Amino acid sequence: MTGLALQVKDLRVSYGPKRAVDGVSIDINEGEIFGLLGPNGAGKTSTLSAIEGLLKPTSGSILIRQVDVRAHPGLAHALIGVQLQSTSFQSELKISEIVKLYAGLYGVPLTKPAIFDRLTEIHLGDEASRRFSQLSGGQQKRLSLLIATVHDPPLVLLDEPTSGLDPQARRQLWDRIEGIRKSGRSILLTTHSMEEAQSVCDRVAIMDYGKILTVDTPAGLIEKHKNDPNVLAVARGQVTLEDVFIGLTGRELRE
Amino acid sequence: MSEPSAVRTPSVSPPLRAPALTEIFRALLEADFTVQLRNNRALLLSFALPLVLLYALFASFAVKRGIIVGDPQFKVAAALTLGMASIAILGYAMTVARDREKGIFQRLRVTPAPTWTIMTSRLLVQVAANLAMALVLLVAADLFEGVSLIAEAYLLTFIGVIFSSALFLSVGQALAGLVKSADTLSAVGRIAYLPLFALGLFGQSTIFGTTFELISRWSPGGTVETLLSGAMNPSSWNSDTWLALAVSTAYSVVFAGIGIRWFQWGAR
Repeated sequence: MTGLALQVKDLRVSYGPKRAVDGVSIDINEGEIFGLLGPNGAGKTSTLSAIEGLLKPTSGSILIRQVDVRAHPGLAHALIGVQLQSTSFQSELKISEIVKLYAGLYGVPLTKPAIFDRLTEIHLGDEASRRFSQLSGGQQKRLSLLIATVHDPPLVLLDEPTSGLDPQARRQLWDRIEGIRKSGRSILLTTHSMEEAQSVCDRVAIMDYGKILTVDTPAGLIEKHKNDPNVLAVARGQVTLEDVFIGLTGRELRE
Repeated sequence: MSEPSAVRTPSVSPPLRAPALTEIFRALLEADFTVQLRNNRALLLSFALPLVLLYALFASFAVKRGIIVGDPQFKVAAALTLGMASIAILGYAMTVARDREKGIFQRLRVTPAPTWTIMTSRLLVQVAANLAMALVLLVAADLFEGVSLIAEAYLLTFIGVIFSSALFLSVGQALAGLVKSADTLSAVGRIAYLPLFALGLFGQSTIFGTTFELISRWSPGGTVETLLSGAMNPSSWNSDTWLALAVSTAYSVVFAGIGIRWFQWGAR
């Protein structure tokens, strides 16, 4: 029997008078990859930030494996691994020292050979003595994902994990995300890439103006909305996930 | 170039406990000490600047022209004060603002480390840097200027350095809390130097009048200099020294309160 890795109920987050997240509810099953899609400013990162504990929700509840994030922040943080949209580490530290620091923060003591092994697995063994800023974009993303999973968390939160990567690096990262799922972990990711959502995610939610508009499998979303007039109006031939996305969220540019 | 290897299968034993505070502190302190030791700017501020001032204060031109007056202990105390003010305002506060802009704090905050441990670790490293600076300066004062202290005075001085570090670091924390941008903080920090440190240099001089002398004596820098020069000469410890200890503690509480109340972890 599989349980829920994450339960978000009626989550609301406000920045002053502006409501960024407006009654979002999400359930993520164990071993599931769940994608959160939305235009800029839709509330994806705010939702993730509330789950990560970076933002205090106005109301609502967040349970990670039945652990209340607000009541037990330390334990909740131990149950998640996080890759932020843009990551930076102390420029004076070598990447092996960064891995050691973050492993230590989760109470995972790693020896030098163990750190080297982990870096080698993501093809950064030769870069162990370099600084984070000296790595390429793809290498930085791989290291960030390694650090997010250094304590083998049951739930991994990835905020636009492949943005700015070339196709090769993106495919490599997808393989790694898939590998994390295969080991029984759950993943919640945000993305702007419909291709990524279709290739990687088991289920997808499209959100806009702080609300979830629809949730289903990528194929299920297309099936559900293929006859929607707004979707048909933007479709160029066979209806795709991107057509559904634009049909539901509109064509106007978002800042 | 070869493809990355297959994904490592994690052990199926997710951590179902929050790590102990000792584990968190060990990891943070080790990283923060490494950062401090590799930071050339911090090393320069910690050691070179106070040594230069120490030399200048004892140089014959300064003594002959009466620019700086006071006993040898006061001059050593002034150099120590400069070191601590530099470490806290130009070093610590700037690093905090820079790391905040880079998102380093936000990355740390999504780990199980409570937010207070992140800042406490950094502050402890700064206090250690201040103590190391004090040791180097006292040795230099003994070797090159003949200012040697009795054992009790060394102990009191190091205790005084801890109190004084708390004062300047709380000022640094307040500045980092009130000023978000690292660039702006750099400018504000340099300006803040005048009332915080330079004013105190005239704490034992009445060349600008007694009112100015009173203000400079009880400015943060002047308070620390009074405290440290008293600690270096225990036989002259008097009510003024006790008052300096109380005032420095009060400054620490006020500035730390400002720093905690208005501090923001994110740059946005």
